[in-house]
Amino acid sequence: MAEAVRVYEYSPYKDVYVVELDDGSTRLATKNLVPGRRVYDEWLFKFGDVEYREWNTYRSKLAAALLKGIKELSICRGDKVLYLGAGSGTTASHVSDIVGLEGRVYAVEFAPRVMRELITVAEERINLIPILADARFPHRYRYLVETVDGIYCDVAQPEQASLVILNAKYFLKSGGYLYLAIKARSIDVTKEPDEIYRREIETLKRGGFEVIDVIHLDPFDKDHAMVYAKYVR
Amino acid sequence: MRLFLTDTAIGAFAVDENGNVVLKVVAPNDINKLVERSLSIENDVPTEEFKKLVNDLITTYGKDLEVVVETEGYAKYLNELGLKTTLQFGNDVILRFRSELPKYAVESGFISSSEEYKNFVHMLALAVTRSKLRVVAQKRDLLAIQAIRAIDDIDKVFNLFASRLREWYSIHFPELDDLVKEHVDYARIVSEIGSREDINEKNLRKLGFSEGRAKRIISAAERSLGAELSEYDIEPIQTLANIMLELNNLRDGLTQYLSSLMKEVAPNITELVGPLLGARLLSLAGSLETLAKLPASTIQVLGAEKALFRALRTGGKPPKHGVIFQYPEIHKAPRWQRGKIARSLATKLAIAAKADYFTGRFIADKLKKALEERINEIKTLYAKPPPKTAKPERRRTQKTRK
Ligand SMILES: C[S@@+](CC[C@H](N)C(=O)[O-])C[C@H]1O[C@@H](n2cnc3c(N)ncnc32)[C@H](O)[C@@H]1O
Repeated sequence: MAEAVRVYEYSPYKDVYVVELDDGSTRLATKNLVPGRRVYDEWLFKFGDVEYREWNTYRSKLAAALLKGIKELSICRGDKVLYLGAGSGTTASHVSDIVGLEGRVYAVEFAPRVMRELITVAEERINLIPILADARFPHRYRYLVETVDGIYCDVAQPEQASLVILNAKYFLKSGGYLYLAIKARSIDVTKEPDEIYRREIETLKRGGFEVIDVIHLDPFDKDHAMVYAKYVR
Repeated sequence: MRLFLTDTAIGAFAVDENGNVVLKVVAPNDINKLVERSLSIENDVPTEEFKKLVNDLITTYGKDLEVVVETEGYAKYLNELGLKTTLQFGNDVILRFRSELPKYAVESGFISSSEEYKNFVHMLALAVTRSKLRVVAQKRDLLAIQAIRAIDDIDKVFNLFASRLREWYSIHFPELDDLVKEHVDYARIVSEIGSREDINEKNLRKLGFSEGRAKRIISAAERSLGAELSEYDIEPIQTLANIMLELNNLRDGLTQYLSSLMKEVAPNITELVGPLLGARLLSLAGSLETLAKLPASTIQVLGAEKALFRALRTGGKPPKHGVIFQYPEIHKAPRWQRGKIARSLATKLAIAAKADYFTGRFIADKLKKALEERINEIKTLYAKPPPKTAKPERRRTQKTRK
């Protein structure tokens, strides 16, 4: 564990921090909900009594989006978030740090192999609710998931926008937010990324979302953009 | 009357258009039953609670009730009962209800506080997920078993071929047998170079031999007492060497496949003893299920059945370890410590197998730590071999003390 020299909130985002180390370098971080434990190979930092967890901008698209200055971080302490395509929990664990013990992250992941890893993260985090299911069929987890304040989607699949819309109909409150990572290359290799963003964004608009910001994530992630939108029922 | 029906983690609810719960059937708070009904909902099959709810509704309101549900399976069930059913998802009534789910859990007496709800969803989601993972993993243990058996077959064939290759090629270059002990290296020389006249420093270095070894092999080749062979006679020997190298590649690929498979099928066993030994245990037991049901004492001697039966027949000493002898900490340990380490490992393996099969919980880190501690303890407590004549000696010292 490294000692931090200085820690400050990464304004304007709440509950996201910048940790300054003694060599002058800085890292994005969140307060570790489970001190002493890591989720991937991130650094842990101590400052005073508080432990922070490095938020790797190359491993997490949300961290990259923040560093690239996305308009807002609507995910707040106490929020209920539906996370589609949680993978092994890299980003989901930071969302879990941010929403804290009063919040909840419903983490949907359909690959059993990946879920085995996610489950070990969830075992330590009481606000992380693992759901082994295909996000294209939200009715299968309707019995467990509450109405949520926001959706985070990173399934790296074609037709992401329609999958998001379906989930929003089931679970997203009016005025709720959406962060959608669009993996251009995996949707259609032959088309230019920008056209794909446009098409997905069109679908979102038709499904009741108002797109507020789109941020390209390079150089942290060359093939992705993050879409930030609000839902109007 | 129009009612919205929904089946949730805590039970089935009927909600009217204003969002009031008009009727509910709360599920029993028993984890096994909760998991069962969760899976039922996921598969779009109405649960007992839902059926009871509908039954109660019909008794109270009669059959000209109008109901709204969210999925086809539920709609079908209601249709068959003759109720006027609409399929509609994402409507505001249910959405509002869903946002208050924790509150209803407390109100209905399912749990006592909203604080408790946090633990409840977390626990239920983990249990449901683990149970689904186990179903997915079903039969994958059989794949792992076949993969390890294939690896063991390959090893046997490979060793058989290696002996043949050495005997055969020794007609031409007998000195090489002692100079190159690794079968793979030996096969590479035969396959890539062939005739001992073609051996030179460049091609040996290319095969990864050090300068010193290359020089020794070259000088042995120059002074070899072996027979001269033509290309025509060397070629079939090379074919055999090629096949050995291919077998070796196949083994590498299978090993990689097996290790990811084992992590999925039996993560705890794999963490404890590695994928190969773990899979051999599965193979000897026949399946993960069987292994999970074996007592530690049996796991300890799995693979030593012959010795065990011999001991039973002749009244001799039973074996201390079966296949787990391959665990480095056992075969590296001095003879008198092996049985103790084997017993400790077998105990941990029995727990690991149960966790892998029954709960899917990952507990191997704790098991591994406990095992390491016990091994260290054995190493210090039994550092010296037990004296052969311990008993009479002890008696004597006791006497002199008195
Ligand atoms: C890019 S990874 C997610 C990485 C993760 N969001 C992070 O930043 O830590 C995409 C994940 O979505 C999962 N996925 C893809 N399609 C899905 C679907 N239809 N339902 C649920 N999960 C899906 C994949 O198995 C994969 O683990």
